[in-house]
Amino acid sequence: MEVTVGDVAMPGDIIKDISTHNTKDKIILGPGLRRDGEVIVASKAGVLRKGQSATYYIDSYQKRYIPNRGENVVGIVTQKVGDIFKVDIAASEQAGLSYMAFEGASKRNRPDVQVGDVVFAKLLVASKDMEPELVCVDSLGKKGKLGVLSSDGMLFTCSFSLVRKILNPECPLFKMLGKEQAYDLAVGMNGRVWIKARSVHETIAVANAILAAEYTALSEMNSLCNRIAKMLLQQR
Amino acid sequence: MTGRDHSKAKLSKGILEMKFMKRTKEKVEKQQFQEEGEEYFENLLTTRMKSEKDKFIIEPSFTYCEKLIDGRLSFQGMNPDIERLMEIENESKRVMLEKKKETDISDEQMARHISRGVNPLSRHRKEKKYIRRVQVEDEEPIPKKPKFLKPVD
Repeated sequence: MEVTVGDVAMPGDIIKDISTHNTKDKIILGPGLRRDGEVIVASKAGVLRKGQSATYYIDSYQKRYIPNRGENVVGIVTQKVGDIFKVDIAASEQAGLSYMAFEGASKRNRPDVQVGDVVFAKLLVASKDMEPELVCVDSLGKKGKLGVLSSDGMLFTCSFSLVRKILNPECPLFKMLGKEQAYDLAVGMNGRVWIKARSVHETIAVANAILAAEYTALSEMNSLCNRIAKMLLQQR
Repeated sequence: MTGRDHSKAKLSKGILEMKFMKRTKEKVEKQQFQEEGEEYFENLLTTRMKSEKDKFIIEPSFTYCEKLIDGRLSFQGMNPDIERLMEIENESKRVMLEKKKETDISDEQMARHISRGVNPLSRHRKEKKYIRRVQVEDEEPIPKKPKFLKPVD
């Protein structure tokens, strides 16, 4: 079957628009699309979407994380093996994180990372034939926003569609929550969210707000945040 | 001698290892990696692969397709380091937006104008010429400043 932008595509469906796209600019094939010669075929079930410029992708619901290069993920350190840490990033395989991939680390000066720590790291290598590799520094050796997350936060999982919804630049949830509430947050593309607020009550409230956002329209985010804030005031 | 003839002068390994050369080192390494890869796989490319080389880019991550923001945020002083980084990001974004607003002719308009084959300078020049001609016809030529004459004693 042939599908166009906005239609529900099933794996194997041929994407019609792209094949007839005859502009000179390059076409970007996002997740869920594959190329077979000149024909573009869907490889996931979902809604075919077109982003800015000629970007096509399939908007699908998914819970299994498949690592992609350059994505930021939240992982749990599970093992120390020689020079590397093994990190669980909810993918089919554990990722490796070299102890040299931290800011200011050297052979003598090892970073203070323990088994059980939660890290926010970037995927440097993610290919289907190799173990994924994480780093906690950028190419200039600065840590930026990456690194070990403190142990007094809370970790929970959610679907990728929720992660994509709340990380969209148009989504007002975090800014609105930030006005009512002090919190520190790390959202990984692997569907893991780490949060830390001033008290346990507040932490749970923020977590509930994020989870409730999955089925809340962007226009109703404001009332959601107000409701959470009111609830917290009552508990005090 | 041969090394020089080969290409432009290359930076030595020792210099690239220095701290302030990190950016350059990154650039040089990327270029070298690209060249090596091209050399290595050249004989494996079929003619068909060469002909349709870059019409598609495969991007398996949603981060780029949907232009998602970084998932590390902090509010009301929970993590001052992160908040500082967020502020720097917002500032640079604002500056970019302001720069875009400042130019009253957008890049696209300019590109369209040039691609239409109108040389933006030529019209300007013609106008200037025209003005000069009109001036010449209208009024008498401005007399040249007389040369300095040596006083006779």
